Amino acid sequence: MTITLRQVTKTFGPVRALLGVSMEIRPGEALSVLGANGSGKSTLLSVLGTLAKPTTGTLDHGPLGRTREEVRRVLGWVGHDLLTYADLTGRENVTLAARLHGLDPSTAYAAVAERFELGAFAERAVRTYSRGQRQRIALARALVALPKLLLLDEPTTGLDAKGVAKLGEVVREEVARGAYVVVVTHDAEFARAYGDRSVEMERGRIRN
Amino acid sequence: MTTPGFWASAWLVFQKDLRIEVRTREIVTTAGFFAVLVTVMSSVAFPSSNETAGGALWIPIAFASILALGRTWQRERDDGAMTALLVSPIPRAAIFVGKALGVLAFMLAIEVVLVPLVALFFHIDLLPVLGPLVVMLVLGTVGVAGMGTLFGAMTVRTRARDLMLATVLFPLLSPMLLSGVSGTTRLFQGEAGLAAVRDYIVLLGVFDGVAVIGGIAIFGALVEE
Repeated sequence: MTITLRQVTKTFGPVRALLGVSMEIRPGEALSVLGANGSGKSTLLSVLGTLAKPTTGTLDHGPLGRTREEVRRVLGWVGHDLLTYADLTGRENVTLAARLHGLDPSTAYAAVAERFELGAFAERAVRTYSRGQRQRIALARALVALPKLLLLDEPTTGLDAKGVAKLGEVVREEVARGAYVVVVTHDAEFARAYGDRSVEMERGRIRN
Repeated sequence: MTTPGFWASAWLVFQKDLRIEVRTREIVTTAGFFAVLVTVMSSVAFPSSNETAGGALWIPIAFASILALGRTWQRERDDGAMTALLVSPIPRAAIFVGKALGVLAFMLAIEVVLVPLVALFFHIDLLPVLGPLVVMLVLGTVGVAGMGTLFGAMTVRTRARDLMLATVLFPLLSPMLLSGVSGTTRLFQGEAGLAAVRDYIVLLGVFDGVAVIGGIAIFGALVEE
């Protein structure tokens, strides 16, 4: 029931971003991927998130599906960018995500609005939000379809202590729900506090 | 949970672009203003006759489309919004169709203002040629939107994207623009009726077919590996 990578490499022209990465990701576990800039963390996330195909090696998403389309139905992505449209309201961004997953937008929005305390601010354009409000909308958008695979790319960037703690809570809730959670981060403290297991990447390889 | 089908997905993308535009009016206002400005300058620079009116109509359409395409793709780039579309389970081709429909709608809105303006400045009686002119404009704009959306996706991640888009797109659009200008000029010269411009309409239709079918087939490969 694991997501399995076997000897995955990924090259972009002359740049070798991943060099023989093998790992397993288990359900109900938060895996932290640490490493310096350029170590291949984000490429690994792109491969796991179906945005890039391995150049060589195999990636098996296990029970999540065999095709990219199947995996995308159960995929949630939180980036350091918001992944939202600044001129739409928070509610519109979240309901768009729900519709793209074939969900009833009202029901889906009500569930995440309660969970992430999306109050009156969600009726304003996203471009007017504070950092904390932006984070809540980003999480609501990513989790509106209750994904089984949650990928987080440098999610603590720009967050204050309260925001980091809230994010950590969400990670633990998703783990408790049985999701596969992968957090790519520079923040070793966040990984220690909220992750179950961590790996460190260096020059496209897993170090430990 | 059932993933929306192809047309429902395209509609969602189109609806989203339309909603942003209705709220900001950025594309129609700026590209429309630019198009009107080019038309006014053309009316001063060129002799006001039915021989130059066709060019005076299609040149601002071509330039304004570059502005519209650049802005619609910039919205996808801002805040990584495109990533959210790409990790959603909808077909890639539906993203292409939705984006192209958005550009088509914005350009048609601009043309609604542009056509009477050209008629006014160049002393064209629109009523006798309105039917075939609308057919040519819609076909031409479908081609611009289809080809432009495809190449907009290709250039959106490059550094000099606006320059790249214009450089790549204009040569590819030239058969369509030439057909549009020639056909419209014939209409404005008094050869009213679809029969007078049938060959140009066929050419525009073929170009549209290539742009739309090519876009549907290639778009996925352009935006993901």
